Amino acid sequence: MTSFQIILLTFAVISAITAIALLSKQVVGRVTGAAVLLLSVLGAVLTLFPNSTTAMARALGIGRGADLLLYLLVIGTSFGFLVMYVKLRAVRRELTLLVRKIAVAEVLSIGRDDQPRKS
Amino acid sequence: MDQPTAAGTWVVVAVYNEATTVTDVLTELLQTFPNVVAVDDGSNDGSWDQLSAIAPYSIRHLVNRGQGAALQTGTEFALKMGAIRIAHFDADGQHQVVDLVRMTSAVASGECDVALGDRFLGQSSMPPHRAVLIRAAALMHRFSSGIALSDVHNGLRVLSRLAAERCEITADRMAHASQFIDLVARSRLRVRQYPTTIRYTEYSMSKGQHASASLRIVFHYAISRIFG
Repeated sequence: MTSFQIILLTFAVISAITAIALLSKQVVGRVTGAAVLLLSVLGAVLTLFPNSTTAMARALGIGRGADLLLYLLVIGTSFGFLVMYVKLRAVRRELTLLVRKIAVAEVLSIGRDDQPRKS
Repeated sequence: MDQPTAAGTWVVVAVYNEATTVTDVLTELLQTFPNVVAVDDGSNDGSWDQLSAIAPYSIRHLVNRGQGAALQTGTEFALKMGAIRIAHFDADGQHQVVDLVRMTSAVASGECDVALGDRFLGQSSMPPHRAVLIRAAALMHRFSSGIALSDVHNGLRVLSRLAAERCEITADRMAHASQFIDLVARSRLRVRQYPTTIRYTEYSMSKGQHASASLRIVFHYAISRIFG
């Protein structure tokens, strides 16, 4: 085993342990936790058997294992960005609703006579 | 325009860093419309001090959330206060009160539910590149919403209470103008366009939308159509 494989394996193990810990504490959802765990295991397997990606690539008609990994990386990253963007939009929307709610509540003297506080 | 019509119309002015113009704009509006709601969208140039000193109703966003959000805040407040009609008026001095009066009278008389300003019908000395961008936006809406309007990004509008209740703006930033047109198209409200004269000054042009901003608006609009 090369030193590079040892480093990658260490990262994969740390990632898997973190995913299990977060799953057990319910910090992340089941789908997210399982996905991270699966990717960690996959990373470890590919590190231990580097030629396996080439075999998979050939089976898919791609040719080189490195190309297969690159394609998967591009797809995965794009999907990740899309998910983050949708979540960010939702957070922005909630922030706007909160800001608007506070603004109107501030100007209406809520709980007293429901009359606006004229400036 | 008679007094009850003016009193029943609540004018919402969204303000973001408009200290140069906001006092003059509000002063002019208040000579005709007693109910003016100025919404400060997290300005940091002293706009709040000015508008809160003069506007009958002043509301402040703690952080900047964009013109669409500010207009919706003001609109919701006006609805809570029992507004019969709601108008949107820009804070940068581009709009003219005389146009707003004409549009308010049209909605009050039942001519339409939504009165939209149209700078192509008015006497605006519009820069050519701005005209091209607005025409392109209008064309986009003709395809996407099936509504035939010539000026879709004019911030001067008057809505009946029913229209304001039906058309809730959720697009925070400048894409709200496009979203508003979509909402109007879907709501089956009676829409009419009225001539408005836009005052293009060096100041208003510097605050206005540039070509790059237009692309950003198209992007945000497309995203909001996909993700809601």
